[in-house]
Amino acid sequence: MASAPSKLYADDVSLVVVLLDTNPFFWSSSSLSFSQFLSHVLAFLNAILTLNQLNQVVVIATGYNSCDYVFDSSSDLNRSFENGRMPVMCSSLLQKLEEFLIKDEQLSKEEPEGKIKSSLFSGSLSMALCYIQRVFRSGALHPHPRILCLQGSPDGPEQYVAIMNAIFSAQRSSVPIDSCYLGSQNSAFLQQASYITGGVHHKPQNLDGLFQYLMTIFATDLHSRSFIHLPKPVGVDFRASCFCHKNTIDMGYICSVCLSIFCKHHKKCSTCGSVFGQAQSEAASASDKKRKTPET
Amino acid sequence: MPQVKIIAKNFMDMVASLPAIKLDLLYRNQFICEAILRSLPPLAKKYVLQMLYIDIPITSKSLQEWLLADGSSKHKVAIDRLIQLRVFEVIDRKKETTYKLNSTFQTNLRKHMISGGILPREPIPQSVTARLPTSEELDAYAHEQWECFLLQLISSGQAKKSTSFSSSMMRIFQRGLLRQRDKEAPRLTESGFQFLVCIMKLMALLPLFCVCGLMDPYTDKLNEGKIEIGSLSWPLYLNWKTLMQLFFCHFVARLFILCSDFHVLVQEQGVDQADLIAFLLELSFHTPGEAYSLDTLTDDQTTMIKDLADLGLVKLQKGRKESWFIPTKLATNLSVSLTDSSSRKQGFVVVETNFRMYAYSSSKLHCEILRLFARVEYQLPNLIVGAITKESLYNAFENGITAEQIVTFLQQNAHPRVAEKIPSVPENVTDQIRLWETDLNRVEMTPAHFYDEFPSRDVFEAASDFARMHNGLLWEDAKKMRMVVMAEIHMLMREHLRGQNK
Repeated sequence: MASAPSKLYADDVSLVVVLLDTNPFFWSSSSLSFSQFLSHVLAFLNAILTLNQLNQVVVIATGYNSCDYVFDSSSDLNRSFENGRMPVMCSSLLQKLEEFLIKDEQLSKEEPEGKIKSSLFSGSLSMALCYIQRVFRSGALHPHPRILCLQGSPDGPEQYVAIMNAIFSAQRSSVPIDSCYLGSQNSAFLQQASYITGGVHHKPQNLDGLFQYLMTIFATDLHSRSFIHLPKPVGVDFRASCFCHKNTIDMGYICSVCLSIFCKHHKKCSTCGSVFGQAQSEAASASDKKRKTPET
Repeated sequence: MPQVKIIAKNFMDMVASLPAIKLDLLYRNQFICEAILRSLPPLAKKYVLQMLYIDIPITSKSLQEWLLADGSSKHKVAIDRLIQLRVFEVIDRKKETTYKLNSTFQTNLRKHMISGGILPREPIPQSVTARLPTSEELDAYAHEQWECFLLQLISSGQAKKSTSFSSSMMRIFQRGLLRQRDKEAPRLTESGFQFLVCIMKLMALLPLFCVCGLMDPYTDKLNEGKIEIGSLSWPLYLNWKTLMQLFFCHFVARLFILCSDFHVLVQEQGVDQADLIAFLLELSFHTPGEAYSLDTLTDDQTTMIKDLADLGLVKLQKGRKESWFIPTKLATNLSVSLTDSSSRKQGFVVVETNFRMYAYSSSKLHCEILRLFARVEYQLPNLIVGAITKESLYNAFENGITAEQIVTFLQQNAHPRVAEKIPSVPENVTDQIRLWETDLNRVEMTPAHFYDEFPSRDVFEAASDFARMHNGLLWEDAKKMRMVVMAEIHMLMREHLRGQNK
């Protein structure tokens, strides 16, 4: 539900929800160490809070198995930070983050090996949206919200449906999702999220200068975006995941009733239960194979 | 009557008008750097951030490349402001303008981004201070002090109760806002009313405890006998709280500068303008409700803090051994986010088409403000009933309050029930207020000279043509050969007539 415009501050006051990727599988293989990454991000958060007295920052950690709020600049605990004491913010954030990481690690023990080591992006995205909805419904005035994903781990195709739903609900509440991809390949989910919601997607070339990227691109408030050059999407990876095997596909079968996506021909839609026709199934699967090979 | 000049002025203009050396001094304080950054237009903020870690000058051309085509006017505004505040230094190189961040500003802001600012003093632990006032008590205290002060402004006679304001401070306020004719009670000047309206307008937007910050920037230039009052239209790009903070600081700082102008401070120690602003800004970054030892203050600051306590900005308390001050929300009003103060302060005035006015308020201050332009008939515990009459309005006009100001006041403080309607104040009332004002302006005075007994019709006609040519003819009677000519061309006219006589 988009809020009435009159409730928004008219200018550049912003609420930034930062989704922090803490996936240990990614950070162990990344060129930028997690602590370096954190120091960039902390300075960035501080800069956002410095820019405007009313700016608000919420940090959600996206782990491998779980996600949780680790920092909220509006809560009472951090009040003293607002009065200019950075160390308080750092220590509370880092402490919460550590607790979160330990909990997250404990959860992961019974996981089977061999699947894609993605982090729980869908969960943190939904949490961010819930937080924003709460802000929309509270109080008379609220800042312009936006979400910033700092993601490094690869996409988890099994989260496709959840993520797409979150993206569409963000679009409906007109909350832009900015995304900064730190990993090696590009993420289709993040590209789509930013494209659909009108946010900015960027993949920094040089991770050592992450702070400058963050400041130049992602510190831009929504008000200023109307007159500043920001990176434009070059080509968006629109590939979807199938509902049956959670594979990323560029061609497949779609249920004409509920629009569910399948990689193979089924007799019946697993989502809505409508019965599919039998005709051309072989021809379709043959052509499907043919087309799929040159792409990958 | 002092010459009142209304100029769109805000705190930043004042800062910008400081001499360069003073500005550089100001930028040595991290909090000021932060406050300055916050006050900039969004685009200017962006420029500063982007250049924060760039040590070489940037050409203005490459700055403009960051912008889309339609942003050039914003670019100009941003750059102008940055240069005014000396945040940007202009370096001309081979006909190309390049900009560089002020190095003091840059270093301090970098420090602030990385490590945050650290206040020069720590709160006193609970064990020493025993029981501190609760935040409600502090609010009440601050509110009371503040309202008392405002009340005193409007009716110096009435609020006798426990006004401990140093008389020097009161006199300064009165200099600008009140006017005292010989042996009459002091009256509010136009600027004073505008100041109050401004406060009321802002009160309507925000909870009362923020009100303190809602001052209008007002500068009283003593030597020129001229008062400049910030216009009511605020620059849109500043957000409320920053605005309030800066204005408030500006206001109080200004006040102290005035103080120092005539006695208290300057005799003992010359308090520097930059020090004042720095201290006030610093104070606003303290945690409200915490106790800070007075020993940590410098002598200048100790002097200032006593006057701040009068205004309800801080509460002074004494323990067994040491004394401390507790900043109230008035001082740190900015650390409170708007969402937890939820309810907006609502309007309270209902005006009916029959010129009766009902104000749902128990505040003495509101009553006094209404009394400025309306006849208050009776007062119930939560309701003030009055009427807008010709006499009451004439009274207001005589004091220099304009019809436009009254109408705006009524509109901005309209009770929520009527505020939904358009217009919120009945049109016949607003029209009548304006008409009554124009009534007073029915007669226009022009200094003039009267000529008659012209020797001949020719001379008369030549003279009237001459006057017409100089746009100075006010009236003529061709039959009786008389005319009235504006005083400005009297000398010319005399020359002309003399020439004719010869």
